[in-house]
Amino acid sequence: MEAPQSPWAFSDKERVRRLVALPGVRRESLSKLASARVAIVGVGGLGNASALYLAAQGVGHLTLVDGDAVAQHNLGRQILFRPEDVGRLKVEAAAEALRRLRPELGVSTVAAPLGESNWRAVLANHDLVLDGLDQGLPRDLLNRWAVETGRPVVFAGAIGYEAQVFVVQGGRPCLHCLFGSVAEVAEDCAVTGVLGPVVGMAGLVQAQEALKLLLQVGRPLVGRLWLWDAFSGSTRILEVPARPDCPVCGAAPTAHKG
Amino acid sequence: MQLTINGEERRVAEVDTVAALLDHLRVSHQAVAVMVNGAIVARERYAEYPVKERDVLEIVRFVGGG
Repeated sequence: MEAPQSPWAFSDKERVRRLVALPGVRRESLSKLASARVAIVGVGGLGNASALYLAAQGVGHLTLVDGDAVAQHNLGRQILFRPEDVGRLKVEAAAEALRRLRPELGVSTVAAPLGESNWRAVLANHDLVLDGLDQGLPRDLLNRWAVETGRPVVFAGAIGYEAQVFVVQGGRPCLHCLFGSVAEVAEDCAVTGVLGPVVGMAGLVQAQEALKLLLQVGRPLVGRLWLWDAFSGSTRILEVPARPDCPVCGAAPTAHKG
Repeated sequence: MQLTINGEERRVAEVDTVAALLDHLRVSHQAVAVMVNGAIVARERYAEYPVKERDVLEIVRFVGGG
């Protein structure tokens, strides 16, 4: 749908002025950013943080996917939501907040969880996908999409004081190479707890990696696992080789589009 | 035996396989990434994959919250 005209609307040229000044950013890349379609699957702590920066920085279109409603206990870390949003669909409250932030942003919403029945249709026609999920099974679906299309998926997770980010691009190495199937993983912040800025930071690293990929600058975390432990204040990056016998990407075709 | 685990040198009880090491460290075999000397070890091979003196290992738990 068309973004509403804001009385303060100004050219997105002004918005990207500080981007243009960056080493490695070419003007042609900016039109790619403006036409980019990014899906954020899961609008929790990760998705709130990444959506905020991707919208502000000038990404053309965001698709928000989440079937949940805003709960009071979300407010400590899901920074797009206000107390009056409690009970509303997360995708609607988030879309509204993002349009306020940047009226020119294109936003579409899918008020349903990603599952076997809808993942191909929901993810079709996107240039890049961000994992904002808190469950394993749909992450396996995002990984299949990354392997089948060769397009980038920026995975992330955060719990307690720990965060991880891992990018799959070109289909290999994939999330399955690293962790096997994560479908059965049931971790819950309700039990373990999570520090708001830790999940926020993981979301921001996702936004940063998405922008690097869309602008084709720097060295994205493709095939590298970024680990942050806020409790001890330590960070590590692990190089992850593809597993030749990986059942998901091991026989992946080498020629990818996009 | 002497191993390097997640960048730290550690002395651990004598183990011969990845599975035995994970059990010794009380790490679940589910949703964990294990690399031995830079190679990823598939979960199905934990029970047979050897761990030797002075091996360099990475053991990373999948962090799933969001």
